[in-house]
Amino acid sequence: MNMRALTDGAREGTAIAVPSTPVPPAVTLPPRRRGKPRGKPRVSLLGLAMLAPSLLLLCAFFFAPAIFTGVFAFTNMSTSTGIGKGDWMVTPVLLRQLRDAGLSEADEQAISAATYVVDAEHVARAEAGGVDARFLSDIESRLAGETYDNARDFERDLRDLPSKPRSARALKGAADHFASSVLNRRYATEAAFAAALSTVAPGLAPETLSLVTERAYTGAVFTVENFVTLATRRDTLRIVGNTFLYVGLTLGFNVAIGLFLALSTFYLPKRVGSVFSALWLLPRITPVVLYATLWQWFTWENGFIYILADTLGLPTYNYMKAGVTSAWTIMILSNGFVGASFGMILFSGALRAIPVQQLWASEVDGASRLQQIRRIILPQLRWPVLFVTAYQTLSLLSSYELIWLTTDGGPGTTTTVWALDAFKTALWAYSGEFKYGLGAAMALILVVVGLTLSIAYLILFKFDDLVSRPKIEF
Amino acid sequence: MQLTLDKFTKSFGDTEVIADMDLTVRDGEMLALLGPSGCGKSTTLFAIAGIHRVSGGRILFGDRDVSDLPSQKRNVGVVFQNYALYPHMSVAENIAFPLEVAGQDRATIKREVQAIAELVHIEKLLNRKPAELSGGQQQRVALARAIVRKPAVLLLDEPLANLDAKLRLEMRSEIRRIQQETGITAILVTHDQVEAMSMCDRVAIMNEGEILQIDSPTEMYRAPVSRFVAGFLGNPPITFVEGVTDGRGDVDLSGLKLPLPARLEALPAGRAVTLGIRPEHFGVARGLPVPGVVRFVEPQGRETLFDVALDNGAVLRSIQPVRQDLSVGDAVRFNLDTEAMLVFAETGARL
Amino acid sequence: MQHSSMTRNFSMIPVLAVLGLVTLPLVVMYAFLVIDSFSNAPATSLIPSEFTLEHWRFLYDFSLVGNVWIATKNSLILAFTMVVTTLVLSSTGGYAMSRLNLPFRRFFLASVLVMHAFPAVTLLIGTFLVLNFTGLYNSMIGVILVKGTLMLPFGIWIMKGFYDAVPWEIEMAGVQDGASRFTVWRRLVLPQVKPGLVALGVFAFLDGWGEYLLPRILAPGADFEVLSVFLQDAAIPDAADYNFNIFKSVGIFYTLPVLILFVVFQNRLMNIFGGGTKG
Repeated sequence: MNMRALTDGAREGTAIAVPSTPVPPAVTLPPRRRGKPRGKPRVSLLGLAMLAPSLLLLCAFFFAPAIFTGVFAFTNMSTSTGIGKGDWMVTPVLLRQLRDAGLSEADEQAISAATYVVDAEHVARAEAGGVDARFLSDIESRLAGETYDNARDFERDLRDLPSKPRSARALKGAADHFASSVLNRRYATEAAFAAALSTVAPGLAPETLSLVTERAYTGAVFTVENFVTLATRRDTLRIVGNTFLYVGLTLGFNVAIGLFLALSTFYLPKRVGSVFSALWLLPRITPVVLYATLWQWFTWENGFIYILADTLGLPTYNYMKAGVTSAWTIMILSNGFVGASFGMILFSGALRAIPVQQLWASEVDGASRLQQIRRIILPQLRWPVLFVTAYQTLSLLSSYELIWLTTDGGPGTTTTVWALDAFKTALWAYSGEFKYGLGAAMALILVVVGLTLSIAYLILFKFDDLVSRPKIEF
Repeated sequence: MQLTLDKFTKSFGDTEVIADMDLTVRDGEMLALLGPSGCGKSTTLFAIAGIHRVSGGRILFGDRDVSDLPSQKRNVGVVFQNYALYPHMSVAENIAFPLEVAGQDRATIKREVQAIAELVHIEKLLNRKPAELSGGQQQRVALARAIVRKPAVLLLDEPLANLDAKLRLEMRSEIRRIQQETGITAILVTHDQVEAMSMCDRVAIMNEGEILQIDSPTEMYRAPVSRFVAGFLGNPPITFVEGVTDGRGDVDLSGLKLPLPARLEALPAGRAVTLGIRPEHFGVARGLPVPGVVRFVEPQGRETLFDVALDNGAVLRSIQPVRQDLSVGDAVRFNLDTEAMLVFAETGARL
Repeated sequence: MQHSSMTRNFSMIPVLAVLGLVTLPLVVMYAFLVIDSFSNAPATSLIPSEFTLEHWRFLYDFSLVGNVWIATKNSLILAFTMVVTTLVLSSTGGYAMSRLNLPFRRFFLASVLVMHAFPAVTLLIGTFLVLNFTGLYNSMIGVILVKGTLMLPFGIWIMKGFYDAVPWEIEMAGVQDGASRFTVWRRLVLPQVKPGLVALGVFAFLDGWGEYLLPRILAPGADFEVLSVFLQDAAIPDAADYNFNIFKSVGIFYTLPVLILFVVFQNRLMNIFGGGTKG
């Protein structure tokens, strides 16, 4: 008889038995209210309130930067374009570029030419500029409304005035106040710039006008140039190669040493083991600046290895900055010494979780220590190893602080990894020209890789197991 | 206060765990919800406590509909299986907590805590932390905290499961004493039939989200409504044997015939039935002698339990006052009280 | 531990030798960090020739490397605000994530976990731009907000783990006793996660104290110089009068609080250094 049949029977049984059981005194139940569908857990306002500040901060300083990285990756924003809205300005440099791009000489001269206008606006400017008041009133009364298209004519007229200044320089200076030119003047809006341009050079063709206006904009503009640059420049391949080599080698070091540390401290007497694990945690807690400098002391001229090699008669040089192989070694080791403790902690935890009876049993069976590790322990460490590998791949891919503080990507670009290059392109260029757009494009690629990997890990490490429903539904 | 479940329904997502359950617990009564794990008894308890939301139907305290009220507004006392004492508070603070959040003044709180501590015999432990108490003492504190607010209903969720056998016996009667002294309506959730039968006025037996039978412990043992109930109650458990009626007042157990109880003699021929035979009804002073061979002997101190294989291969269990004259392999003829046999139809319902 | 009792049959000496060899660079670096700050050695020798306290002059002689106390004050401000913001936001956010009914709860949890695994340093350029647009560039507040936010996914996840370990029954008992969920959280649940709060607080302090990149890039002004930046600027080995030993003394001064916290809280920190990856 199966269970289903049993319960069906039971239900029938209840019906039979009811008359024989004492019936509870009948109560008149109040009428039922009909309402919205029930039984769904109630949304907790407290929860929303508790989460709100965090959400706000995350939006402002986590999501917004991520989105900005995505947006500005498609701009040419840099120190020269400035951050924020730009102006419109024609510079001699721009004019030369425009000439190269096919601007006619006449147009060029028209744009760069200065006109001299005597009107209320310019008089006020001259007054503010400290031009002698009598001279100025002469100018205003005699030359009001005049326009000159070159300096010579204007200055000749000025020289005719009774109150003209003695020195030619003062006269020239006064004349400058009346000059009206678009050259090197900033215009806040496109309309103002176009208006000024057409006053100065009324003969410009409309397409020339719009070309000049577009090129005169000093702010950042949208472009896919950054990605074209990344795809075509020679360094890209080398830096990608560096990145993979760096991640691979450091990861190998981390996992291998982490495993070795976990296993050896597991078998060692507890006190000895804990001394070693504390030692290996030191790099993790030491502030990165100090840790980097310890490596500098260790490997630079007159540092530890240098003096040691000197004493032994081995070649001496600045190992961190002057040799490619030694720089790579230092990069891997300095990062590895920090990273190994992560594996050590996780693997030690996993080791302690193995029932010790299993190990006793294997020893009784005559397994050697190595066999015990290979056959019993390592298979049970598969998931922790996978986890450490996954987790550290991601953090190594994007880490650059320690490299920046030690080898700084050198010698040359031999130890430059992608993240470091992105950072330095955007925020730490020696030339002083920070290419925010290009840097953002490089960072965007890391963001995409990081996001993909972290979502993949989420699925791999069974996110669903981590989510349980709240048990209090009110 | 009387507690009523009116067509109570509970689902989790798309799974309906309990459908249209009706249950009334009378004022001052202690009722057991008894059933195997996963039968929905704890879900029911959590719904009454206001931890789970009701998917359908209503829960009434007296004639107040509390279905949509959160726990805080229901005034229910709960004793959890692991006691759920607040580990960072002393015993006195634990008991005072419900009064404190209710905004009572200090003097009242002090007086109430003292009174309840005396009721549950923990007045000497008030300054201890829960970690310094034994299991039974923690249990008493949990009980004190649950009833200090004078709740409308007291819910006990497997309160004895974490205690050792001796303490369990002691707390069984203690909980019952305190419940009776305070007169609180109480529901005991348990999977232990002995607990349910010894502590409660009535027992509701549940399986797969349904109440199969509600009755006083004795009545339920004597007259179970179904094969499931019969099998669930009784230790050592009842033995079932399958057979077919022959229409002449006997059941044919393939090779062996047993007479039906007198009230069922009229059953027509050819019906498949199950006979339920409790161990205390086999090996009695008067009845139908049934031949068999002893297969297993289990001395239990005051009584001895025998497994007896009948001629047709069926094994019946017999419990008798201690006797040492029988051992495995002996041929015996025990008397069977056929009138006390329970007969179940193919559906599982008792006839 | 029991397992050390079964090592009798095996010699541990080779293992110890390898372990010692691998660890040697660390021992050398940290040993000389201390030795050099209290001694002088001849130019081409590692062995110190005299004991001296002169490398600690920087504590009062600001002509050496600048005023260390201003940087210390800034570092303390950064570290303590980190502790406060991280604890407040993680203990509330983590509780909401762990225990309360929220719309899109699964989505929130998944995002926190993704953000936790996500390498936040890649966002530095974006952060720089955000601070520029909001006018928070080159301010301590900006650094604190950014650093605190980057800590949040980790902090929330860690605290969620601690909250998950608190028995539901405690909370159920609390609401049965008539307490609101807020009271339950504050008076009943929060005391249970104290070890988590302590560990997270210490971690946040260490993290804020050791931070270099964000203050350097996002608040380069001299007013906000923290100890890490101070130390880095003191350590330009190209300078003619550069002295590793003074630098090491500054380094010890800088690292001392870290070491003390580490020694006191080592066991609690282990859990956190594992990345809160128990989930």
